[in-house]
Amino acid sequence: MALLVDFIERYHSIAKRRSFFAIVFFIVAISFVVISLGFGTYKISMGEAFDALINHLTGNVVNAKDDLYVWDVRLPRAIGAAFVGAGLAIGGVVMQNLMQNPLAEPYTMGVSSGAFLGAVLSMISGFSIIPALSGDYAVVCNAFVFSLIPVALITVVSRFKKLSPTAIILLGIAVMYVFSSITQYMMVTAESESMASAYHWRVGSLSKVTWDNLPFLVVFVTATSAVLCACYKKLDIMYSGDRCAQTLGINTTFFRMFCLIIVSLMTAAVVSFTGTIGFIGLVGPHIARMFVGSKNKLLLPGAAAFGAAFLIIADTVAKVSGINGLPVGVISSMVGGPLFLYILIKKNKKVWN
Amino acid sequence: MRSISIRSKESEQSAILLGDDPEINVDIDGLSFSYKGADSDKNVLSDISLNIHGAQLVSILGPNGVGKSTFIHCLNKILDPTGGCVRINGTNVQDVSIKDLAKVMGYVPYTSTDNFPLSVTDTVLMGRHPHSKWGSLDDDLRIVHEMLQLIGIEDLAERNFNELSAGQHQKVMLARGLAQEPRILFLDEPTSNLDVRFQLEITRMLKRLSRQKNMLVIMISHDINIAAKYSDNIIMLHGGGIYALGKPQDVITPDNIRHVYEVGADVIMDRGRPHLILIDDDDTDYDDDHEYYVVEKVAVG
Repeated sequence: MALLVDFIERYHSIAKRRSFFAIVFFIVAISFVVISLGFGTYKISMGEAFDALINHLTGNVVNAKDDLYVWDVRLPRAIGAAFVGAGLAIGGVVMQNLMQNPLAEPYTMGVSSGAFLGAVLSMISGFSIIPALSGDYAVVCNAFVFSLIPVALITVVSRFKKLSPTAIILLGIAVMYVFSSITQYMMVTAESESMASAYHWRVGSLSKVTWDNLPFLVVFVTATSAVLCACYKKLDIMYSGDRCAQTLGINTTFFRMFCLIIVSLMTAAVVSFTGTIGFIGLVGPHIARMFVGSKNKLLLPGAAAFGAAFLIIADTVAKVSGINGLPVGVISSMVGGPLFLYILIKKNKKVWN
Repeated sequence: MRSISIRSKESEQSAILLGDDPEINVDIDGLSFSYKGADSDKNVLSDISLNIHGAQLVSILGPNGVGKSTFIHCLNKILDPTGGCVRINGTNVQDVSIKDLAKVMGYVPYTSTDNFPLSVTDTVLMGRHPHSKWGSLDDDLRIVHEMLQLIGIEDLAERNFNELSAGQHQKVMLARGLAQEPRILFLDEPTSNLDVRFQLEITRMLKRLSRQKNMLVIMISHDINIAAKYSDNIIMLHGGGIYALGKPQDVITPDNIRHVYEVGADVIMDRGRPHLILIDDDDTDYDDDHEYYVVEKVAVG
């Protein structure tokens, strides 16, 4: 008969072993923030980039051009990549939990189609939800507000009708199709120039992240992630279905709507600045799950660290690809898909049913 | 009898259920339920009134679709009754928050979803959620360990829940229900996937725990003989209401079985408990060609 002391010790040692992976991902993410400074269309060696960073921090800028690229362009972009990756991965974990569905992701609620519609409305017809704004600000604001329409609709409907996870997903899909059709209508009637810029907006890219908008992104992602991470125990219990969760003292309807709103706010903030960066929110959680397990106490930080590391690496690759670099949305799926397939085949342990 | 404090609804504080009260008294008063959208005249449950007093093992019997699960879900607030109310030691269950209810009521479901892998320990640990406080993990693990030993599944502790068999799932869910340390435990067919040995062991254990832990155990069962063997009392549902209620020997009778389940049955008494023998009214003889139908072991080599 197993002894209690051994039992408790083993439990803690398993948790420790798993948290090791989360720490590795975290270290990789941090180091790649620095490494990525040396990559891009502007040629500069790793050492020089690092010097430029140190010089800026110590206040004596030697080479103004190096400083411009490293400090003003690449650093905010790398930090942005880390936070976007972490946020999308956390959003994915939470959505998969809440919906009890391994195919759920932050965009499942129709956030990205809403954002795109908002952006297109601004780019093509010059409509701005806040009339005082124009240009890029109008695009971002439109995208943010429109991306929250699906979740607002679902919230309203859920007040009158009890919605199952599947019903929520289907509602999200319905809204997505409506939005897409409006967007497509506008696209086919638009000038080819604005159509190109609209299309370019949609493909996820981190090139729009600057020191000006980074704080907004960081604050949003950090605050929403913190709230979601604090719910780790309840998220575990949501695995076991609504009835079980309810008999364990969780108001499932309220908790699900609460988390959906938080995830949507975060995703909306991310999408408004970067467009749709796919893959990470859907597959990131699954890859993290293979390393740190499914317990949310470890999975949430683990997935966040993985998402951050993955997106910085993908963005670094994206920056040096092609003549002027490619959008990270292209690379993340191109690199991530095969990587996921490899891990899936290599690791035959059952991770989900 | 110690008192139970009931605060008014307006103060947003919910009523405290049971507390340290050693007595358990479940009073079901005119309970009705109908599913929304369905024919509103047709109640799944209509006007059920009964009183369950004392820590004991109660089995709920009845044919498929009679509303056994619905009945239990009305008691533990998964569903809101459309009529009547449930009082536990005088407190209306509807006035108690889900969170406070979870501290005194456990539920072991019939099916369990298993999308993502959580270890058995972590799954059972969920049962501690209603009681969880900061920094009490080792205390909770102690209780989890105790329950795993009680059910005899310590060897599964580190296995992933989704890799287990249906019977093992059932044991894990049972351990989780017990880890909740409820005063009232509801179980939906807790032994349906278990082999005969564990059908006996688990049901006997539930009866023992009802005495040891002063816990009211209410279980749905399709195994009439197991229910008859161990239950203190049996509730037999039929046509949206209670058809029979009381001691096993009073409820498990050939007439009741024929009326409720529409099958013929003999009941014999075995060690003071009724034992059911089913009779097939269809007398078609399929035993025509014994020589033709063969399953046999083949020697190799």
